[in-house]
Amino acid sequence: MIEFKDLRFCYTGEDGTSGLKRINLHIRKGEAVLLCGESGCGKTTLTRLVNGLIPHYYEGTLSGEMRVCGESIQDTPLYDLAKTVGSVFQNPRSQFFNVDTTSELAFGCENLGMREGEVLKRVAQTADELSLKPLLGRSIFKLSGGEKQKIACGCVSALGPGIIVLDEPTSNLDMRSVNDLQSIIAGWKAEGKTILIAEHRLYFMQGIADRVLYMRDGEIREEYTGEEFYKMPPSFFRERGLRSLALTRLNGCGACADSEKKWLTVKNVQFSYSRGERLLDIPFAELPENGVIAVIGHNGAGKTTFVRSLCGLLRKDRSILEYQGDICKARKRLDSCYMVMQDVNHQLFSESVLDEVLMSMEKQDEKSAESILEALDLLSFKQTHPMALSGGQKQRIAIASALASRRSILVFDEPTSGLDLRHMEEVAESIRELQKQGKTIFIVTHDPELILSCTTHILHIEKGRIWGNYPLDEVGRAKMMEFFAGDLLGKEVCYDF
Amino acid sequence: MLDPRTKMLLVVTSASVLIGGGSGGAMNVIKPVLTAVPLLLFLCSGKWKAAVIYTTVYTFAFAGEIFLVPVTTGFVNFIVIACCGMFARFMPGIAMGSYLVNTTTVSEFMAAMERMKLPQKLSIPLSVMFRFFPTVTQEYGAIGDAMRMRGIRFGGGKPAKMLEYRMVPLMVSCVKIGEELSAAALTRGLGAPIGRTNICKIGFKGYDAAAMLICAVSVIALLLEKVT
Repeated sequence: MIEFKDLRFCYTGEDGTSGLKRINLHIRKGEAVLLCGESGCGKTTLTRLVNGLIPHYYEGTLSGEMRVCGESIQDTPLYDLAKTVGSVFQNPRSQFFNVDTTSELAFGCENLGMREGEVLKRVAQTADELSLKPLLGRSIFKLSGGEKQKIACGCVSALGPGIIVLDEPTSNLDMRSVNDLQSIIAGWKAEGKTILIAEHRLYFMQGIADRVLYMRDGEIREEYTGEEFYKMPPSFFRERGLRSLALTRLNGCGACADSEKKWLTVKNVQFSYSRGERLLDIPFAELPENGVIAVIGHNGAGKTTFVRSLCGLLRKDRSILEYQGDICKARKRLDSCYMVMQDVNHQLFSESVLDEVLMSMEKQDEKSAESILEALDLLSFKQTHPMALSGGQKQRIAIASALASRRSILVFDEPTSGLDLRHMEEVAESIRELQKQGKTIFIVTHDPELILSCTTHILHIEKGRIWGNYPLDEVGRAKMMEFFAGDLLGKEVCYDF
Repeated sequence: MLDPRTKMLLVVTSASVLIGGGSGGAMNVIKPVLTAVPLLLFLCSGKWKAAVIYTTVYTFAFAGEIFLVPVTTGFVNFIVIACCGMFARFMPGIAMGSYLVNTTTVSEFMAAMERMKLPQKLSIPLSVMFRFFPTVTQEYGAIGDAMRMRGIRFGGGKPAKMLEYRMVPLMVSCVKIGEELSAAALTRGLGAPIGRTNICKIGFKGYDAAAMLICAVSVIALLLEKVT
């Protein structure tokens, strides 16, 4: 079905480190193949070859042979490939051409010139099969990440291709949405579709993946059957920089909650859209000062709204934060809290890393700016343009500017979505370091591994209300795991506590 | 309610006639009518907030032109004429444009372009642009948040810097989103050299005829005015 022979690829304008070196691969019809490996190992590049974006959209030098269904990809234009290969991408924000869901489902069929009746039939059928009915006719901008990814799958299904390629589809999803995605993929497999998926999260493909390929430096280094792979011991995954398979395999080495501490309180956090029900309603909550607080809950529970309120970003916000004896209203919190946003590109403004830090200081002082950069491993980039750096480095620049402006409360909005083990551990390390410096840290996250490696406290928000507020001690850990595992109950993977 | 083609025609007409047209004669009737069209459309589609903002701003600009211009002199007079004149002339066009963007789905927009038999080389970039308006708004908001957190606010005495801080991240993220968006659309067959079909229903109705009549009369009046 898919055939690569001595394939090499290098993106135009790059030194070849991010390309592919000698790929030989044969994927049979109806097979489900999982690609894993650290960021930058070439997983995404390989998926782009299958759906034809390379060489038709992303440019570079390509040699070797590749065929999909017997046809050479180089000679098949993208619109013809669209009939045989369907793609789901990582970022739900940027894969929809339409703004309303129904048109989006119809979009692919319309492009291929199907008759109106046929298009409508396919849309209805897809909505039925993937239970998308409640999502029809809605605005893409009002859907949660999980719902968007479901629509993306629907778009693929509507076209009915024989091959489906997924590029890190779960990056922005909570566990419940991952499960929905899992059952969609399982359904495709049962229909006999050929599936190629590149992922960091591995657990949900257990029982679906027939073959697992481990990639490194643009090569396929190791190959396992699904069965072999999912029986490997935890050390196997650690050595390869892969994320843990299942919650049971996680062992918390995280910072333990200490007993003597001061508390900060938040009061009267409320938010509702101009019309409609109240989205967030937290009358009172007490949280540990100088703690690392994980804010957990399902997609759309109100976690992000909560931290936005904390940072003073909501309009008409009457909430109050009592912190170190001060009573901070929303306005004042703009100056004492700082959020490292999920898309960190939004918050980098200047032309060099050093300028970025200096700009945040009340009195510009190059010496102390440099020492902040040094502590974050950024000093060698001080004259570089922030946009030229990697995602993790950009995140650290944002942290640096928060430190420079002497903020005492830092908020991270999903800092590890789509990161591999090594990068996740780097983030955890920075966060632990910030705690040592006496900061109070909030992390909105769906990542139990991150929680176990750096947090001390859990704030569980569900439907805009507090469902749990507890320290991450033995009892707390069990409770937290129960939340993440609760989403997985009834699945093939089993969890024993 | 209206066909996307009619909406586009209304945007072009109200912009050109209100900005380019003089005063007196038939324009005394045509200009108020064209100004009222967006308001009417906002009200019909239940966009109360837009209707109120439009009415308020326009009323102020109009009142300014009538009452403030005669009583001020010198530099102040110049500023008042510039501001009020600009708002009074540009507002209806802008309002009409926002109505077009907010009430037309991308799919309808594409259908309209196909009906007008525009070549794909033109229709695809235009629809991508159309798709982009809401995204730009969203990104703009997120960057605004980031700026507020950094304490970058207006009144810091560096308006040029402010613009740079706002525009640079906006460009970066728009380019990135645009690139991913095009990739996703291409894998789903956009640009195939076959007749694209469309499931949304567009077509001219009674309202469209009325709107087009207004446009035709306005444009003819504008042309006559320019000729004589």
